Amino acid sequence: MAIIIELLGWGGKRQRYFRVENSSVTIGRGYQNDVVLDDAHISPNHLRLDAVNGGWQLTDLASLNGVEITKNTASPVSELGASDSIAFLGEGAEIKLGRTRLRIVSESHPVDAAKELHHLEQDASKLNRFSIWLPLFLISLVVEIAALYFNSFVEWQWKNVFSTILSTQAVLLFFALFWSALGRFLRSESQFLSHYCLILLAGLVYSLADWLIGILGYNAGTQTVAMILSPLNALLLLALLLSANFALATNMLPRQRWISSLGFVMLIIVVSITAQMRGWGEFSPYPDYFSGLGVPALQFSGAESADDFIASFDDVFAAADGSALD
Amino acid sequence: MSIDKNRLQGQPFRLVALLITVLLIVFLIGSPTSGFAQSKSARTLFADNKAGILQIRIIDITSGSKSAIGSGFVVNDSGLIATNYHVVQIAASKPEQYRIEYFSASGAAGSLNLVDVDVINDLALVQVNSQTNSQASSQIAAVLPLAAAEPAIGVPVYALGNPLDLGLTVVPGTYNGINQNSYHPRVHFTGSLNSGMSGGPTLNQDGEVVGINVSTAGNQVSFLVPVTALQQLIAEHQLRGQGVDNMELRIGQQLLADQDKKFAKLLALDWPTIALGEASVVNELSPFFRCWGGSNSSSDNAQLLNADRTCRSEDNIYLNGKFNSGVIEHQFFWLEADKLNTLQFYAYYQRLFSDFAPGNMARKKDVGGYQCDTEFVAVNNLEAEPQRKTKAVFCARAYKDYPQLYDVLFLQGTVDDSRAAFISHFTLAGVSRDNAKAYARKFMGVAQWR
Repeated sequence: MAIIIELLGWGGKRQRYFRVENSSVTIGRGYQNDVVLDDAHISPNHLRLDAVNGGWQLTDLASLNGVEITKNTASPVSELGASDSIAFLGEGAEIKLGRTRLRIVSESHPVDAAKELHHLEQDASKLNRFSIWLPLFLISLVVEIAALYFNSFVEWQWKNVFSTILSTQAVLLFFALFWSALGRFLRSESQFLSHYCLILLAGLVYSLADWLIGILGYNAGTQTVAMILSPLNALLLLALLLSANFALATNMLPRQRWISSLGFVMLIIVVSITAQMRGWGEFSPYPDYFSGLGVPALQFSGAESADDFIASFDDVFAAADGSALD
Repeated sequence: MSIDKNRLQGQPFRLVALLITVLLIVFLIGSPTSGFAQSKSARTLFADNKAGILQIRIIDITSGSKSAIGSGFVVNDSGLIATNYHVVQIAASKPEQYRIEYFSASGAAGSLNLVDVDVINDLALVQVNSQTNSQASSQIAAVLPLAAAEPAIGVPVYALGNPLDLGLTVVPGTYNGINQNSYHPRVHFTGSLNSGMSGGPTLNQDGEVVGINVSTAGNQVSFLVPVTALQQLIAEHQLRGQGVDNMELRIGQQLLADQDKKFAKLLALDWPTIALGEASVVNELSPFFRCWGGSNSSSDNAQLLNADRTCRSEDNIYLNGKFNSGVIEHQFFWLEADKLNTLQFYAYYQRLFSDFAPGNMARKKDVGGYQCDTEFVAVNNLEAEPQRKTKAVFCARAYKDYPQLYDVLFLQGTVDDSRAAFISHFTLAGVSRDNAKAYARKFMGVAQWR
């Protein structure tokens, strides 16, 4: 029966494997071995594995640094010293020699069932095209410039907005690069443009929703609307964006993805609430009134009479009395 | 560049600057006189009256050293001394931490009890502590007579006091009559009052008190409390026959009564109007208000038209070092989009709209936080005319020590025109609920885009 020796990398992920048909395998740095490893801390003849009933017998061939058994299904984990040079390894045992980690399995070792390719993964991968990224990029540029233009009441000068636009795009680019580097590392593939497209899309949806929330809040006549909906919009989109990026760049299961994304969003909520808590109950000599204004075309809620407004002063006075008791 | 960006911040700060200027309070001490003779010189006035003018010291009980100084003068032979409320205020509000002492030019000293205040006119009466010693009382028994008639404008008068703790000093100046620009009468004295002279007397050439030193606006423009206010306070005190027990209650009553009187007078007036753009706004409510205004129309690179008018009553009631009341402010803006598109115009408008603040100072120990209500309000003009839709804001904060009094802020801006806007705003400091409501009703009826 063949022995499979797996060479493990960061996070226990298999980098490559050796298949040896003999019932006895030698491992070392020397070329006479069945499995030749390039690690300066491994002795030329380091160890030998012999197939025995239901497992393998490991014999340390008087190696300089010994063998550490990091995981064994057969007997308690132990380190082989010079005197105690023999151990019994079960199926799936992991050992460490020098700085190299190995896993030993037989060819009949079971593997996980195949996972269904998630539709999000498939759909997001389709974004990895220049022909999709470019229009999105241009639209987001136009939206940003338009937002800057319509909020500017000084004479328009391009030189004043260049730095703003450049820094926005630099931040987006940085995040796209971060995710694609993570993908390269964890999945050995990077979908730079997909990440970039997702980030641009999220930004566009956020801007549109925030604008709508602003109009809604203005017509409702209270800053509570924007205070609740604005962060909700931002956090919801962030969770979606994170989850999609995790799907592209990592091997997480959908459940893990959502837990990670929502966990991160929760962390942001906790941190921001904690940061704001310092300001709660602090006295301000300035009134905090809702100063939002919208253009007449977007003003569609009704108005009350001046008499009704003045009559409502009593509620404000009552609230002011309550506030003075603190 | 286009619109003047400084303008946005300039408006509130200009108000604050003015407020601070007017509020520069001075402290002074004086010396009493016997009060006979005619046309005395500054030298004789000084010599004759110094026995009746005292330095008032606020002593921190824990450290035993003086925290503040001012001046005062003897007004009757039972040891009643007049000074400014702002000189003794800190001791009045924290009697467990501070005590009031006097110190005369002849070296006599003793402790004083606060017996009454007139917070509206910044006056206080303190009494020589009878338990101290009768000898001390006799040492300061040089009573300064109060003038029965107001002097003519232009006559020389002499302010006495203890500027910057330099010792008793006499400052010659000119009597310029009761200032007509303020609701609370103040004598305009042309002469330099300095820190430490507050509460000291200003004497005419006959050695009679014509006013009490109170504040300065700098450059020889100084203010005195008219002696009539002191005469009234002394009369009230003598009628009561004893000191006021609850000073906080007394001050609250004075503030309430004063604002009732003031707003009754203001609301009864027929408010004059003046045009600002297409709107008509409240003009100077003579004699209480000073108005000024400006626009960016002369600026070549302005992107929009911004014209404003600000009016302010010059009445500040000193309540403590960080808390004053009594001020009324009106502010109006007329905006036209000009070169801006509607979205840009409203971006500017929103920035301006968010920048309004009250005209008086207050701290957490004095007032609660502002509570606000925001509504869309239809301004009903005459039946025939179309209504204007506005966004209106009303905020109020309550005084902690003086019940039924509030600072209020009212702000209203039109929201139904794409190319122009009209903002009207007022703040009232130290007002009752009913007066605030009546004022808002009248204000909304007068300040309108017609």
